[in-house]
This record gives sequence, C-alpha cells and structure tokens, in this order.
Amino acid sequence: MTNSFFKEIWERRSLLMLLAFNDVKLRYRNSILGFLWSFLEPLLMLTVLYFVFTNIIKSAVPNYPIYLLLGLIFWYMFQRATSMGQTSLLDRSGMIQKVYFRREIIVLSACLTAFIMMAFEFGAFAIFVVAFRFVPPITIVLLPALLVVLFILSVGISLFLSVMTVYFRDLKFIWQIFLQAMFFVCPIIYQLNLFPEYIKNILQINPLVTILDTAHNLVLNGTLPTPKATFYMFASTAIIFIVGYVVFRVKSKRLIEEL
Amino acid sequence: MENSNSIILKNVTKKFRIYHERRNSVYEYLTSLSDKRKSIDILTVLNDISFSVKKGEMLGIIGFNGSGKTTLLKVMGGIYVPDSGDVITSGRLTPFLELGTGFNGELTARDNIIIYGVILGFTKKQIKEKIESIAKFAELERFLDTKLKNFSTGMNTRLAFSTAMQVDPDILLVDEILAVGDISFQEKSFNAFMEFKRKGKTIIFVSHAIDQMRDICDNVLWLHEGIVKSYGKPQKVIEEYKEFAAKGNG
Repeated sequence: MTNSFFKEIWERRSLLMLLAFNDVKLRYRNSILGFLWSFLEPLLMLTVLYFVFTNIIKSAVPNYPIYLLLGLIFWYMFQRATSMGQTSLLDRSGMIQKVYFRREIIVLSACLTAFIMMAFEFGAFAIFVVAFRFVPPITIVLLPALLVVLFILSVGISLFLSVMTVYFRDLKFIWQIFLQAMFFVCPIIYQLNLFPEYIKNILQINPLVTILDTAHNLVLNGTLPTPKATFYMFASTAIIFIVGYVVFRVKSKRLIEEL
Repeated sequence: MENSNSIILKNVTKKFRIYHERRNSVYEYLTSLSDKRKSIDILTVLNDISFSVKKGEMLGIIGFNGSGKTTLLKVMGGIYVPDSGDVITSGRLTPFLELGTGFNGELTARDNIIIYGVILGFTKKQIKEKIESIAKFAELERFLDTKLKNFSTGMNTRLAFSTAMQVDPDILLVDEILAVGDISFQEKSFNAFMEFKRKGKTIIFVSHAIDQMRDICDNVLWLHEGIVKSYGKPQKVIEEYKEFAAKGNG
C-alpha cells in the first residue's frame, strides 16, 4: 500500500513540482513587487513583536531578534502549509474531477508551495544573522532535518484537514481560529521556561512546540534536544502523518462527488 | 488476468447520494443530529455492470442523457471509486473527459501546453520537446506566446485537442470531444483519432454521433438507466437504440 503510494507520487513528480512552483509564481505574480509583498506580513509581525517585547515587556531572551524571526519562519511555514493544504482539494476541484492521479499530490503540492516560500524567508534570515554579527553554533547543520520533520507534520495535518473540509466546509474557519490560538501557546515570542513545569509539560504535547524548541536550541544555544524530546517529536509526527493519511484514504473514496 | 483484455468491469455499481438538505458544515451537522427526517436519497447510477474490452478494440457507448455514460467513463478512469465491483485495467490509461483541464488564461499558450501536458502524464522535459509540433497541428504557431485569455474558444479547443493528442496511452477514454473546431480541423482531428486505432490502442468513447460510430466501432454498448440494455455489433445495437428512441418519442 505505502509502496504504491511512493511509487505513484514519484511517477507524477513532474506534476507535483509544477503545481507547487506555479503556485509560488502566482503568489509572486508581479515579479519583484509581489515577492516583497509576501514578505511584508512576516516583516510587520516581526517589527511589532520585536518592539513590544524589547521595549515594553523587556524580554530576557538572548539574541531576541533572531530567536523571534526563526520562530516566525517556522510558524508561517506551518500556518501556510496547513491553510493552503486544507483548501487545496477544493481549489483544484476542476482538475481532479477530470483526470486521475493520486489525490495526495494536490495536498502535497500545496505544502510544498509553503516550503518553497519558507526557503526564501531563510534567505532573509541569513541576512539578519549577518547583520546582527551572530555566529551560529555548529548544531545549525541539523536544521534541514528538523525542517523535514516540520514538513511531514504539516502534510499529515493537511491530509486530514483537506478531505474533511470537503465534507465540512466551515472547518476552514474553525482551523483559522485554532491557528490563531495556537500561535500563543507556542514558543515563538517567548521562551517555554517562562512557565512553571506543569504548564510546560502540557504545552509540549503539541509536537510543534518541541519542533520550535529544538530549532531555537540548534540555531541559538548549540544544544541538541534530549533523546526523550527527539523520540517524542519523531513519534508524534509519524502518528499524525499516518492518521492523516489513513483518514484521507478512507474519506477520499467519495471525494469527487462531494466536491 | 487475461492478457487480451484492456479493461474488465465486474459487477460495478455506483451510487450517488442525493441531498435534500445539503449539510456540509460542522454547524449544520450538529444541528441536524436531533433531526430525524431522512435527508439523503440514494441514486443508483450504474447498476451491476459487467463487460470487458479487448486490447485494440474500439467500444462506443450510447444512451440517453443521464443514462450514466459519463459516470461509467469516470469509473473506468479511476476518478470515481465504485461502491461495489471491480475495475481492472491493464496498461496506461488516459481520460479525455474535458479538453484543457488546468488551462489558465493568465498564462501564455506555451505555459498552458506544459501544464496540460504534465497533467496528462508527461514530464516537463517531454512536453517541452513537443511544443512546436503541437502548435503546428493546432495551426497556432504565431500565438505561442500570447496569453490564453486572448484566444477565441475555437483556438482554445484546438490547442487543447492538439496537446491531448500527443499522449501515448494504451487505453483512451473519450467523452464527446471529436466535434471540435471547424470542418477542416474536425477532419484532421478525426484522422488523428483513427491513427490511435491503427496503432492498436484501446479506445472507449461516448458519443451521440451514432452514424459515425457505426462506421468505426468494433462494438457498441447501450446504457439505459444504469444498466447495459444491449451490447454487441454496432449495426445491431444502433438499430435497437434507434427503434427504442423512436418509440419513446411517440
């Protein structure tokens, strides 16, 4: 089953890439202006948060701008991937009603679009790092592996959401509200050790929290996640992906007539 | 599986849900839990259909509007999953249910050829090599870098048809796409279509041009209200169909 999944995706990789890159192109429509425009939202967010947390609340996080930007890039990847992934089947309904290919490709391509956009943002991140004369520790080389985990997590959630949203259209709004709430229980603008141990433990159930924590550790502190945290991150991501995949398989049987 | 068959359908049944009150939000779902009225009817569009198509055979499917022809094609193409029964296909299958799937008016003809080609199963490299010949067949060489939104409907379909004709599948599913363009292009496209037959491709097509069908099909299947009303040599099935239609119309 899984074997044919990867085989069929691989056979249609051309389609996957084309859909993903076309979406990036469409987002950056008016070349350079559109390109900058897409940075504006994260940039504005960064500026506001930076101002609030350095001047008003006086955050004690060292290298706070880099801490903040890194968390925001991860967050925007997750937010965009799941939002675009969620509506991807509806957005491309015309196509999938006429041609057969693994429907997962549609969801995957939406997440890939978010991933490509994130790659651009890491370009901006690099400039930031240089501007602040920050020398990242060697553990930063593990960051790509962490991004793969983030990607798989996003795909798993998107698979689940995409097919359920075909049946329940208002899930789109429910998920947006959920995302807004989730932003504030993730270590993006603050550090997790701000909280007492028991709240920290509850928040860490969310795999995204562990992923963000690990990202900060790898890029800023030069420390590796504990074996326990590493195991939890991999296991919870794998479980979410498998659940998403199975729900997608089962629910996509009547997908086309429900579109 | 028998080697000589391209497609085998075994007792295929497809049902659609007809919603009286469409409940497609969480809110509606929750509020409807206490509502005991039946809100779904089941419509059986394909009822226990079995037949097989031999390799290289050309099968025509006829029937009134709403008899399930397009649904049958979509089941064969893997787009609909049947409720029960099996569809077994051997070889690469391409459905032509609609021309120009994925066409985008904001992009040039060239880009659209690439997108459509990739959707149909080419790699980007393969389709890029074919762009010139596609444009030539469509008689649109001069307009390759024009945005598609500036094309006329005829130009649009010609471009789509020419791209679609580049595929090299073993099985083709065709839903009434031969009546495209003006007379000279129709003849050209008909010839391109017959070229597939000469190459030994399996072709299954839905059409209302039954006289044309009589000339080119090996077998004809008559679908009526979701069941196979008749199947066999074109001459025989089409006679029966015409007789039935004449009686039905009084």
